[in-house]
Amino acid sequence: MVDALISDEAFIKGCAAVGAGLAVGLAGIGAGAGESGIGAAAVGAIAEDRGFLGLGLLFTVIPETIVIFGLVISFILMFAYG
Amino acid sequence: MISRTKAAYAYIVARTKVMKSRLLKGEDFRKLLNMSFDEIVRFLEETEYRKEIDEIGYRYSGPRLLDYALASNLAKTYRKILQVSFGDAKILIREYLKRWDVWNIINIIRGKNAGVQPELMEETIVPAGEFSEEYLKSLMVKEMDEIVKEMEGTPYYEALSKIGSVPMNVVEDEMYKAYYRKIVEMPAREFETKLFVNFIKMEIDIRNIKTILRLKIDGASTEEILERIIPGGYELTEDEARKLAAMSFDEISKSLEGYWFWKEVENVTEELSEIEVNFDKAWISAIARRASNYPLSVLPVLQYMVLKKVEVDNLRILGWGKYYGLPNDEIERQMVII
Repeated sequence: MVDALISDEAFIKGCAAVGAGLAVGLAGIGAGAGESGIGAAAVGAIAEDRGFLGLGLLFTVIPETIVIFGLVISFILMFAYG
Repeated sequence: MISRTKAAYAYIVARTKVMKSRLLKGEDFRKLLNMSFDEIVRFLEETEYRKEIDEIGYRYSGPRLLDYALASNLAKTYRKILQVSFGDAKILIREYLKRWDVWNIINIIRGKNAGVQPELMEETIVPAGEFSEEYLKSLMVKEMDEIVKEMEGTPYYEALSKIGSVPMNVVEDEMYKAYYRKIVEMPAREFETKLFVNFIKMEIDIRNIKTILRLKIDGASTEEILERIIPGGYELTEDEARKLAAMSFDEISKSLEGYWFWKEVENVTEELSEIEVNFDKAWISAIARRASNYPLSVLPVLQYMVLKKVEVDNLRILGWGKYYGLPNDEIERQMVII
């Protein structure tokens, strides 16, 4: 039944698209969870001392690197199979 | 939900860490020791205490100015911590701060007994607990039985209702016992609450061992010591306390080996101020260790609150000592310098 509706090539392309979406989406959720604690701590430190603004921002965005990895994986998937 | 709780602790812990970095260091105290009383006040006007000293400076002078300014600053700092915290952290901090309700009520009652004017009583209160400054001020102008009636429904009522039939120090002990009992009996379902309850239990240990040693030096009987013991200690349970209370001073100092505070206080002497200072130092090191083991809990906040109280006490000792011309080494011996 499936064979009759979707070709192998289309099935692989579809799976790659779903994988790319998951790579970015899950990495985003993970980064968000990580940033919640760091962000809260950064806001706390900045509220007491404005001098922590730069350092606080820097530390808050560090988990964003995980999203970049997810993005790279999604690009590889899309370029290889998309 | 988990990350929300952690975020709440991350926020308040980061804030208190910054506040902790502004506390006076050991070298600041050594510098202050070489200053005169007026120079100390001027030094403090450049620090966190500036606002309070400026506000009260026109009404008071000398060590009374310092006392009032320090008490106001302490209350303000504690209230701020409570205001900026949220979630479980707020509940635990509020419970911790209720000790100031006991302190304030005791001071008001002592003042009433001594016939002190309400204005003088205001100097001693630290409105950081559940009872607001206005409420405490309203109590100051009431009669003793009215104050006791006002406390109906609070954990302190039972102790306060004994006023007149037992000595005042027994009432005070009972009030602190009621405060500690409420915390020790808290249902510790969450890990953070468990850490908090254990922290309080360790504090009870320190209070109890200080009481035992102090009363032993005074020559009190075993029964007298046991009456003053606060139940619910961490390692120093009631049974352990009973055993220690029946020993001589030398036997006690040998038996302390193995308790969590032992390492810091290996050589217990019969000097009262040394006992106080050494056990306070042991307590502070224990909190520091536990706070760094559990950075995302209420412990670093409590550590700051304890250190702030130690700083205020040190400044008070320094101020009064300098004002009355005590020698520097004598003042330093009374202070808890970390």
